[in-house]
Amino acid sequence: MSSGIYFCDAKGKLLLSRRYKDDIPISAIEQFPYLLIEKEQESNVIPPCFSHNGVQYLFIQHNDLYILTLTRSMYANVAQVFSFLHTLVDVLQEYMKVVEEESIKDNFVIIYELLDEVMDSGIPQITDTKMLRQYITQKSFKLIRSAKKKKNVVRPPSSLTTAVSWRPEGIKYKKNEAFLDVIESINMMMTQQGQVLRSEILGKVKVRSRLSGMPDLKLGLNDKGIFTQSNEEEEDEPSSQPSITRKKSNIELEDLKFHQCVRLSKFENEKIITFIPPDGDFELMSYRLSTPIKPLIWCDAKIQVHSRSRVEVHCRAKAQIKAKSTANNVEILIPVPNDADSPKFRYSHGSIKWVPEKNAILWKIKSFPGGKDYSMAAEMGLPSVNDIADYNFKRPVQIKFQIPYFTTSGIQVRYLKINEPKLQYNSYPWVRYITQSGEDYIIRM
Amino acid sequence: MDKKIKKFLKDAVRVAPKVSNKGELFELRNGLVSKYPQTRKDAIKKTIQQMTIGKDVSPLFPDVLKNIATSDIEQKKLVYLYVINYAQTHPELCILAVNTFVTDAQDPNPLIRCMAIRTMSMIRVDMILDHVEGPLRKTLQDDNPYVRKTAVLCVAKLFHLNRELCISLNMITDLISALDDSNLMVVANTIASLTDIYEMDSSVVPLPLLIQSHITQLLHALSECTEWARITILGALAQCDAKDSIQAQDIIGRVTPHLQHVNPAVVLSSVKVIVKNLDLLPSELQKQPTDKVSTALVSLMSTPPEMQYVALRNIRILLQKYPELLSKELPIFYVKFNDPLYVKLEKLDIMVRLVSTSNLKQCSLLLAELREYAMEFEPEFVLKAIQAISQLAIKFAYANDSTSATKFVTKALDILCTLLQDRDTFQDECLVSICDLLRYDSQLANLPLPIVSSWTDADSHLVTDSGKCNYIWMLGQYRFPNAEEKLQQFIDTFAQQGHSTQLSILLTVVKLSRQLPDTTLQHVLKLATTETQDIDIRDMAMLYWRCLSLPNADKLVEDLSNAKLPPLTSTLDQFSPELLHSLLQELSTLSSIYYKPLSQFKRRTVQHSSVQGKALDELTSMAHAEIAKNLNSETLLDLDSDSTNVPNANIKGGSALEELSDLFNFTGDSLLDKPMQKMTIQEGKQVPANGSAKDLMDLF
Repeated sequence: MSSGIYFCDAKGKLLLSRRYKDDIPISAIEQFPYLLIEKEQESNVIPPCFSHNGVQYLFIQHNDLYILTLTRSMYANVAQVFSFLHTLVDVLQEYMKVVEEESIKDNFVIIYELLDEVMDSGIPQITDTKMLRQYITQKSFKLIRSAKKKKNVVRPPSSLTTAVSWRPEGIKYKKNEAFLDVIESINMMMTQQGQVLRSEILGKVKVRSRLSGMPDLKLGLNDKGIFTQSNEEEEDEPSSQPSITRKKSNIELEDLKFHQCVRLSKFENEKIITFIPPDGDFELMSYRLSTPIKPLIWCDAKIQVHSRSRVEVHCRAKAQIKAKSTANNVEILIPVPNDADSPKFRYSHGSIKWVPEKNAILWKIKSFPGGKDYSMAAEMGLPSVNDIADYNFKRPVQIKFQIPYFTTSGIQVRYLKINEPKLQYNSYPWVRYITQSGEDYIIRM
Repeated sequence: MDKKIKKFLKDAVRVAPKVSNKGELFELRNGLVSKYPQTRKDAIKKTIQQMTIGKDVSPLFPDVLKNIATSDIEQKKLVYLYVINYAQTHPELCILAVNTFVTDAQDPNPLIRCMAIRTMSMIRVDMILDHVEGPLRKTLQDDNPYVRKTAVLCVAKLFHLNRELCISLNMITDLISALDDSNLMVVANTIASLTDIYEMDSSVVPLPLLIQSHITQLLHALSECTEWARITILGALAQCDAKDSIQAQDIIGRVTPHLQHVNPAVVLSSVKVIVKNLDLLPSELQKQPTDKVSTALVSLMSTPPEMQYVALRNIRILLQKYPELLSKELPIFYVKFNDPLYVKLEKLDIMVRLVSTSNLKQCSLLLAELREYAMEFEPEFVLKAIQAISQLAIKFAYANDSTSATKFVTKALDILCTLLQDRDTFQDECLVSICDLLRYDSQLANLPLPIVSSWTDADSHLVTDSGKCNYIWMLGQYRFPNAEEKLQQFIDTFAQQGHSTQLSILLTVVKLSRQLPDTTLQHVLKLATTETQDIDIRDMAMLYWRCLSLPNADKLVEDLSNAKLPPLTSTLDQFSPELLHSLLQELSTLSSIYYKPLSQFKRRTVQHSSVQGKALDELTSMAHAEIAKNLNSETLLDLDSDSTNVPNANIKGGSALEELSDLFNFTGDSLLDKPMQKMTIQEGKQVPANGSAKDLMDLF
């Protein structure tokens, strides 16, 4: 499918490449920067795939990099390509922390080696870093040891191609523990008047597993409707299942997504989440709820622009959560016109500063107890000349926050059963809950 | 002990490269043949670094190759990296390494066996290919699945390099038997390999048959292999047709759980398989899978933007087949302010398509949302939002009774009129949208009319051809005060105006011929026959000229002014049924992103030029058909009593056909606009005929 993987700098100039097939000449990628310029001149809309001379360019952007794959085949599975490129970035990130032009140049050997493993003749192969780490070891820092280890030759681990390809055998811990983090991100879009246009909860269950051997885990959630009731109904009458469950369940988890270790067919048939976890940190599952919710942190912002003289900002923020909960690290970003300057602030809580590079005022409140009500006012000067209607200033107010020990959906972990058939050890599951703002918690101005 | 330390020192010693005046290559060569292993390794790394930044280090090939016989696997990997890089550009050099490859293919370490076979099957030299048979066959039967999974892919590579050899060695039979391998990764790679070969030459492997015969196995394998293997297997399942509804049901049942996989590509591939088999199910069983597909599609909206783009383009296809699929999910497609522009535009399109016209509340919500978008700052986005407002209103009006429709259209018009006044740079687009809405009900013109008719120099308000064309149409249709003066400025610059504007001027002048001084009509007719290069306008002008000199010219003008325009049912472009059918089969492939079915592209082994030729042939014939159809339904002149016009119309049509054929003989994207304009005239509508023009767009 893919003819090769290419890393290019911010201008599209080639940094590093690995070609898996020879059906596309190297000149195709050398043209990429020029094609980019050409596209930019044509229009502001540059989709992540285009073709030139029969070669298909598919790319993603990450930091200051373009990561591309080229192909000639129209059969190419685009979804797979993009998904693969993003996974590749994740894999590289595990190896070199930050993936950018500098780190690509510094780590070319390891990247070549990885590219050899993650893809073969254009077909993605193994992208599980936990497995890759076992036979592709960062060598630049272990030069002397690797010379010593000569006899202990690297081989692909045998579990690589088995059904449990994500966990090697023979893991041992003194203390067997599993940590569960339930994290809910809230995305909301509201109007200035407080009407909620869109709201969703994106939930994730993250696991840090420090367990020996090959444990088999079973996770129970309080979501009765989905995890137990529907089970019985489905056996009775599969076709009527969706409508009935929706009525009965209190929490309606939509599009659950599971890590590849979860037995999907078991979940589909019996609604039980069972899995053999990879070692270390991973994301077990994610879900989405689109039930309407009240804004957790509401902010009534008024921005008055007196053209050619000043802009006034009044903002009242309210934590609409239970009195015993507290929202931490609240950040409210209020847009101001690009040419505003010399800010003056009045406020009772937190700290305020003007962030010229974002053309906004940032109001930070470390700790915001539930039910409380804080306000601020700001005034900024505007230049007295040159006044074109500036639509760029019409940006939303963005809010960030974290609320610990609390989930908006009310989801709870009932149990996490850990069973290792051979070792039979005692283990300790730990659970934490947190609700936070998603990428997209905004009030339209 | 002493010995050990000595050996350690020898291994670890690294000689600093000397700066010499003999150049970098010389230094590297020195390093490569150094007696200290660590120095050699460093030198290989340096060489590869030079290679990465694009320097030609191929002269070092023999020296690098000397380092291949080592027990240090890391060093070996490095050498192989170097060799693979030059395998493609300097195959002749690789002959030097044949023996090493053959030995390495029998190495006890599976990693080395893999590297050897992988490298060998990439080198385009006959001599190497002669040696490939033994090792490849051996590795295909290897004990280690890791080696087998690599070897099966090598068969496709070999086929690519030398098809005859591959067939004569009977490698494909070996490959097919690997479908029954006990290891799932090997099976998945075998399928990938077979698919690759099938793509190059479908006569060599009966792929659909093979998949059909292994279908149960594949379905079982699905839940137990890696994400990438799942995608490959799902891709194969989407290729084969289920025998009957029972098998289709089984496939859907097995694939549905994978809609919950975390990898969006797995999700989309599952959607593809389900959609493929859905039609085979009895209709009462279709609901549940459809619902699941719907939630799965929604979940794709929380992926990286590139994935969202793929999903949105595919949703566009699915929505035409299943219009109700996402009708409850409008808010998920609301545009986020930090979405990339290409995602924003697709979202806009999808939102207008997915709303259900029976749901007034939802439509009103979307209308308010679109108004917000029209106040944003990115020009492309605002333009599309303005378009979407009229598209939504027309979609709604067509499906509802006249009272609620009029109410809704008035609301939309109101928004557009406000925009027309507020957004100076987007007046063209607003005007076009307003005119589209006026075609629904011309009585509503009292809203925009005061604004538009008060412009004294429309030429400075409007920039685009279609904006001006619509302005002039309005001017003629609603008899603006001072029409003559306002028209005059366009007539003065007639030759510089675009195609549609010229046409519109011509029509309006004829329409208003009773109000305007005779000289104006004469002048325009003359301009249109002499000053323009455009053959259609010339023909059209001739036609009018002749008609106007006929005895019943007054009736003609009257008919023309009172001609009722055919109502717009939808301004959203649609795929033709055949196109839709093939696009549904090709979900998540590149062709579904470009909306160009694979049948328009020949297999990739064929020369590119002929591919284009074929696509153009098809296009030309489709365009011919379209024109012929439109000629029959020519309603503009409404002169059924006057037979003298019939040959005229034919001549006009004929010349347009020729012109069109001429156009198709050239290639290039710039031509895209031209046939579109052609279509507009053939339709004979004063307002740019969005419907059919966009149909033609789909063909491209």
